[in-house]
Amino acid sequence: MNCEQCQELVSIYLDNELDTNVSMNVQTHLSLCAECAKVCEDFAMILDFCETEDILPNSKALWCRINNIIENDVNPENLQEKQQQPLVETSWLAKAKSNFWQFTSSQVVASVLGIALISSLLTVVGLKNFAAGEENYAAATPNIFEKVLGKVGLIATSQQTREKRIREQQTTVDYWRARVETRRENWEKHLREAFDRNLNEIDQVVYEYDRILLDNPQDELSGEMLDSALNEKVELLREFSEL
Amino acid sequence: MIFELKKLLGFLAKKKTTILCLSVVFFFASSAPDISAQKKFSKSYPASKNVRLLLKNRTGTVTVEGWDRAEVKISAFVENSNTKIAPENLSGTIQINLVKDNHGINEVGSVNFVIKVPYFSSVNIETMMGNLNVTNVRGGFVKAHIATDGDITLTNISAENVAAENMTGDIFFDGELHSGGIYRFSTTSGNINLRIPPNSSFLLTATAPSTRNISLGAFSGANMNLIGNGRRIIGKVGDGSATMTVTSQRKSISFIRR
Repeated sequence: MNCEQCQELVSIYLDNELDTNVSMNVQTHLSLCAECAKVCEDFAMILDFCETEDILPNSKALWCRINNIIENDVNPENLQEKQQQPLVETSWLAKAKSNFWQFTSSQVVASVLGIALISSLLTVVGLKNFAAGEENYAAATPNIFEKVLGKVGLIATSQQTREKRIREQQTTVDYWRARVETRRENWEKHLREAFDRNLNEIDQVVYEYDRILLDNPQDELSGEMLDSALNEKVELLREFSEL
Repeated sequence: MIFELKKLLGFLAKKKTTILCLSVVFFFASSAPDISAQKKFSKSYPASKNVRLLLKNRTGTVTVEGWDRAEVKISAFVENSNTKIAPENLSGTIQINLVKDNHGINEVGSVNFVIKVPYFSSVNIETMMGNLNVTNVRGGFVKAHIATDGDITLTNISAENVAAENMTGDIFFDGELHSGGIYRFSTTSGNINLRIPPNSSFLLTATAPSTRNISLGAFSGANMNLIGNGRRIIGKVGDGSATMTVTSQRKSISFIRR
């Protein structure tokens, strides 16, 4: 019997499950071979340990092991995908970059015209919006181009501008009216009466134009007159607030 | 009865002198409080030909007249003796601001001004209430502004810039238009009458939205356009060298040939 045969039969030998002859041969070899005797001792010690201690499986360690196994099975697939993706992107970008500066002459002309048109529109819109706050909104009648822009919503229509202006003026009126109220007790009676009479006159004018504009919002002249009347109202309040 | 009447008449005839004297005394006595209530303020300043007068009154009539003297003479008739009048002469500008000078004083009362200025003066007068009259002024500008009630009368004016605006009251302008000049007349509730030479040339924007009563008289012509169903007239008279804007929100506008 050689060592290999002996070490294969050691475990069965220790369990006393070998034939007597084979068992005698193994025992003889173990007595002559120190290496196989050492293996047999180790086996014997393990068997002895297992028999004396109840080894319970560590559930946590077991799950950890299972998890590791699963991850090892799944990750290689993901890694493979991740490794493949940059390759696709790189190829798409490269393709786009390679075609980016390759325009036909018609595309170039169309682009230049588009940029010019957008710039003009933005300039007009900017100027219109700037001028709307500074000037009388009704001074100029909107042309077709402005009407189209108004419809699209790029610039405010005259009605919208008027409404915005009226709101602004109303805020100013409220401010000066509050100041006037604190001072009017100091005025002479005839001055107070004149103030009330004229303020009432302006309010009447404002009311009339308001009515006209409700019926016909496009009436630019009435819009202008309404604006003028509101300005006069502000001016009247401002002047009397100084008294 | 007849005898008694004759007796009474005889008595009155004898006392005629006494009655006459008493009547005179009574007349002066009744008008005396008015005289004593009106305090007069007067001050004169030597002035250059093209002096500027800035006046801001509260209530009362202001009359400014051009004269052939290098002097500004201010006369003010003050209703309330508490009213402060403190004219300032600042480098060619004579300034009177009753609103600022009497700020916080409750009963300022009316102040009626009569101011004489050199012909070529510029005049800017404002008041909260009361009439404004400017006569014989030929300076750079004439501006008259009434915050509430009062008429504006500008007579024999020859200035490059003229502006007259009030709320309730008429505006009358009688004068010449300069080439390149700007003329603006505006009232909320008042008639505007403009008397100008027949050879005047100007660009006109006249608006009378409530009445549509715009009478161009001798200045109506082919170069006039009616806007907004006649609420506004825009047009050119002559070569249109001056600019005239006239607005009467609730009353009429009339042009008269000078």
